[in-house]
Order: sequence, then C-alpha cells, then structure tokens
Amino acid sequence: MKQEAKTFESVDGHLFKLLIEAGLNWLRTNQQLVNSLNVFPVPDGDTGTNMLLTMQAAFNEIQNSGEKKISKVAHSVAQGALMGARGNSGVILSQLWRGFSRSIDNLDSINMAEFSKALTEAKTTAYKGVVRPVEGTILTVAKDISIASAEVISKKVDLEQFLDYIVKAADISVQNTPELLPILKQAGVVDSGGKGLYFILEGFLKFLRGESLETVTAKLVQPIALMNGGEMEEIEPGQDYEVIVDFRPANPLNLEVFYSELTEMGTSIQVGEGDGMYRMHIHVPTENRYLPIDYTMKLGTITKVYIENLIDQMEQKDANQKQQLSLTPIESGQLAIVAVSPGFGLSQIFASLGATAIVQGGQTMNPSTEEILHSFENLPTDKVIILPNNKNIFLAAKSAKEATVKQVEVLPCKSIPQGLSAMLRYDPSGDINEIFEEMQEAILEVDTGEITVATRSVEINGVNVKEGEAIALFNSELISSSKSIEKACFEILKRVDLDERERLTLFFGSDISNQEVNPIVDHIREKYPQFEIEIHEGGQPHYQFIIAIE
Amino acid sequence: MKENKNPMGNVYVSHRAISTIAHQSAIESYGVVGLAAKNFAEGIAQAIVKDPTMGVDVRYDGHCIEIDLFIIVEYGTRIKMVAESVSNNVRYRVEKTIGIPVEKVNVHIRALRISDTD
Repeated sequence: MKQEAKTFESVDGHLFKLLIEAGLNWLRTNQQLVNSLNVFPVPDGDTGTNMLLTMQAAFNEIQNSGEKKISKVAHSVAQGALMGARGNSGVILSQLWRGFSRSIDNLDSINMAEFSKALTEAKTTAYKGVVRPVEGTILTVAKDISIASAEVISKKVDLEQFLDYIVKAADISVQNTPELLPILKQAGVVDSGGKGLYFILEGFLKFLRGESLETVTAKLVQPIALMNGGEMEEIEPGQDYEVIVDFRPANPLNLEVFYSELTEMGTSIQVGEGDGMYRMHIHVPTENRYLPIDYTMKLGTITKVYIENLIDQMEQKDANQKQQLSLTPIESGQLAIVAVSPGFGLSQIFASLGATAIVQGGQTMNPSTEEILHSFENLPTDKVIILPNNKNIFLAAKSAKEATVKQVEVLPCKSIPQGLSAMLRYDPSGDINEIFEEMQEAILEVDTGEITVATRSVEINGVNVKEGEAIALFNSELISSSKSIEKACFEILKRVDLDERERLTLFFGSDISNQEVNPIVDHIREKYPQFEIEIHEGGQPHYQFIIAIE
Repeated sequence: MKENKNPMGNVYVSHRAISTIAHQSAIESYGVVGLAAKNFAEGIAQAIVKDPTMGVDVRYDGHCIEIDLFIIVEYGTRIKMVAESVSNNVRYRVEKTIGIPVEKVNVHIRALRISDTD
C-alpha cells in the first residue's frame, strides 16, 4: 500500500525542513556505501561520514524550529553546515548550502524556477571556493544538477517531477566522474562526494513519494535484531529512550503530518513501510516516552512496541569495557603511555605490557584529538608518550600534544607491531627523552604484515586486486592479492628476511574465527619451522591478521 | 638539492621543483583561492614575473621536508577544515611524486577573500 504522493508547486520552510531531514536520513542509510568509495581498497571511514556529520549539523540548526519562511530555514541550514563542516566534502557541501540560501533571500516559499536559480547559485558559490576546480568531483555533480534544473523548468513541472529530473541527472553525472578524473577510473570507483550529494537529493525525492528512507525497515526485521546491529556511540540530550512501533494504519497515512507530529515529540525519526505495515523509530526524552505510542494508536492498529533505555545501555557498555581492562596505575611523576588500539584483544595486550591508558581507534575509526587528550589529562603525571599505532592517527595525536601543557611525545609508529615493540622498552620510572629514543629504535626492529579483504577491484603498485580477495600489506605497502587468507600470509612471509627475523606473532581479528585460524598457523609452522610462532586474539575489525615479525 | 637513493645512481630534486608541486596542489585544494607572497621582496618580484612557486617555502634537513604555505582562503568557509585539507593534499602529492617524507606542512592564512556577502 503506497502513500499517494501529494503534488507541490512550491516549497515553504516547513516542507524544506522535512526535505533536509529526509536527505540526511537517506545519506545516513547509505553512509557506508559512500565511505567505501575511497581510492585505496582498505575500508576507511571518510567522505560519507564527513558529509553526514555536516548535514547533521545543518539539520540540528533547524530541528526545533517551526519557521515557515524558507529563506530563514535555508539560512539556518547554511549556518549549521558551515559551523559543522567536516572534511573537504563537508566544506564544499556547506558552500553549496550557502549559495542556495543567498539566492532565496527573504522569500517565504520558492517555486520551481526559484529552486533552479538557487541550485545554480549554489554551484556558482561552490566553484568560487577554489582557483583551479578539479572536475569529476562533487563540484561537477553540482554543476550538472544546476544545468538539469534549468532544462526542466522550461516545462511546467511540480516538485516531484522537478526532483525526479535532477536526481536522474545527478546519477548520470556521478557515473561519469571516472571519465573526468583518472584516479577514480584507476581505482574503479565513482566520486564519493558526488555520490553523497546524489543521495541527499534522492532522499528529498523518496520522502515526497513516501518511500522508505531506511532499507532495513522495508523488510520489517525484528526490533531486537535491529538493535543489536546498530551500535550507539554516544547519546545526545533528549534521546533518553528509543521507541520503535510497528503498526497498520486504519486510513492511508499522511506521512507529512505524521512526521511533523513526531517531530514535536523527539528526534532521529525514521519511518519504514512494507506490505501495509509501518515501522516508526524515534528517540525521545524520558518524559515523552509513551507519547509516540499513544499517538500511533490513534492512527490504526499497533502490532508491536519496543522501548529501550539508551542511557542505561550506554552506561552498561562503558562499565563492561572498563571492568575487563586492567590498566597499570601510575604514580605521580612517572612516565605514562597512551596506546591507540583497534580491538579489545590488542588493548589487553597493551595493558598487560604496562600501558597507562588505551584509546579505541584504528584504520576505520580514528579517535578525535579530544579523546586522546582526555585519556591522559587526568593522569597524575606530566610526562606522556602516545603510541598512535596508525599513520592516520598521527595528526590527532600531535594536536593533543599541542593542546596540553604536559610534556607529550608522539611516537611515529605506524602499526600495532611497531607499537608493541616500542612498548617493550617502557620503564615507568625512566627518563622520557631516553625512553622515547629507545622506542624510536625499537619500531625499526619489527616488520609488519597486515591482511584484509579488498572492498573493491583496483590496481595499485602493479598489483591487480579483485573485490573479495585477501590482500596483503607488508610494512603498509600493498604487495599482493590472493584467493585465500592463507595464501596472503605466505605472500607476506616471502618478503621476510629469514636471516634477520626469528619470531612471528599473529593477532587475528574479529572477522575470522578460531577454526579458520588454526589450520593457517599449522601450515606456517610446517613451512617455516625456524620461526617461533605465537597467536593472540587481537579483536581488530576488518583486518583478519596483523602480523609482527621480529 | 635533495637526494633520493636509487640503484641506478642518484636523483636530485631541487627546492624549486618541490615548491612548484606544492604550489600546484595547493591551488587545486578546495577553499584556497590564492597564495600570498611570503615577504615584501617576493611580492615585488611577483609583480614582474609570474613565479610558479610563490607563497611556498621548502626546507630540507637531510631526511624530511618541511613546507610552509602562505594562502588566501575564501571567506565563509570553515577555515580549519580548508587548512587541514590543503595540508593533506600538499603532503600527499609531494610524498607521492618525490618519495621523500614530508614531516610538516605549516599553513599560514595570509588573507580571506570576500567574493559575496551574505
């Protein structure tokens, strides 16, 4: 049962707010897809997340406003996007909104001709932000959208027809980006920023058509399964409870009214539809926790309700993690070590070697400067060495160093094995400069092997990588792509200088099971009897193995 | 002059070559609308001859390169992000094309250009 799409000849502030929220939600649903479009085949959080956080900041500005003038709403969106811009794509996105809002200054609502003009102004403003625009990026897609919008308004179109036309044009433009930018073609991907922009506009269109903005709910999965899949990182104020209601409306649901009623009650609203059933998802403050249920009950038959106390869930999660890690307490004036670790097993190993504090993070989840700073600010010492254990985290670690009055050194260790090797030189009562120097030597004494599965086909360093194959990195250089994880391990061992190295330590990740690990290790033992081999559960995501070769 | 060890012999890369690469990648970086002269003398020289290395200062200590960029940023962008992204772009391009690690890229915002008022 599909919602009959209402036709709109113009967009006012209220509708614009709903469109922005839909764009945000649809981008959120597709965030990982956009993230996966990076040029290197290792999974790496990037454009999708940056654009999402920028849009989220934009939406936060208008979330609680009942403003009816589109110019005011658009202005707030532009302001929010500017202040919350994350990454390169976020900055460009904020410029697009800035141009858009400038074009419709003082208007109460906009018709399609004005919408088109605003899109053109958005493009022009974005292009002004750079001397030599690189084509085949989000800028090109914005340009093609603006051209398409000018074409379509020559006919008499309503909002849905208008969006339908420009979304199609955006899609074609995104597909064409590899033709304009060789690095995309080489990596076999389309431009991620352009794709993100496409999803925002497609979200507008899907909302108008009453289509689901969350593919998961289209299948109406069990609420419990839904909860376990989505992990919450932090809770914003007013999101104390999560309420999910499955219901069958008595009359066709007016989505617009439904959304606006729910907006009064809480945030993170998502509505999914399938076979005449709807699922509504909302985060509400404690005092509003029964309101969405009472409201939905008026509209039809409720089949299932699911409520969860998010605050309690977060506290439990925090408590669990703290309990299991036994960090070494430090006395005043001693030297502290902060290690960044991507998995629980690795955190335990760092802790057992004497790390004073652990920050969660790695290739796909870089910790912020604040998180690193927070980890050592309250320690009773002013001497700290940070082990970033990943090249992507150097910058955040260095910013933390600059933001504190404590004496902090950042060890340039690019991998977990380097970090562990450095950790062995740690002496809490040692001199920070001497220890730091010894650690710098220690990181050169270990080779690092890493094995992960390629997220797409690509050619790099003359290695032909196929999606789904196991790729091996030796000291961060891509060396091979193989059919199996085991073959990838042997590719790494081929690179090892057998006269220099005698010890292998394998840390297996969360994506591989014990049963899979054991035969691989047995084969390595057979083929390389000269090595002393140890195996630990690292628990890191994405990397099946991290191998330290000493 | 920089040396890059190579089994066939040595490769020497001049400061000027590095500056040119840095300059080109800086102006392709979003939010950067121009580079500014480092000092008065360079400003005058620039008025006479277009220099492809203007606004870039490169130092080399035998192991690592340190680069200073003097840029003009579009008003109304989030400057912190523009600075981060130009620094990343320049580091990536220089390391990729020359193969010598870049230790630091210092970004100096010399001016903002206002092309539109909101």
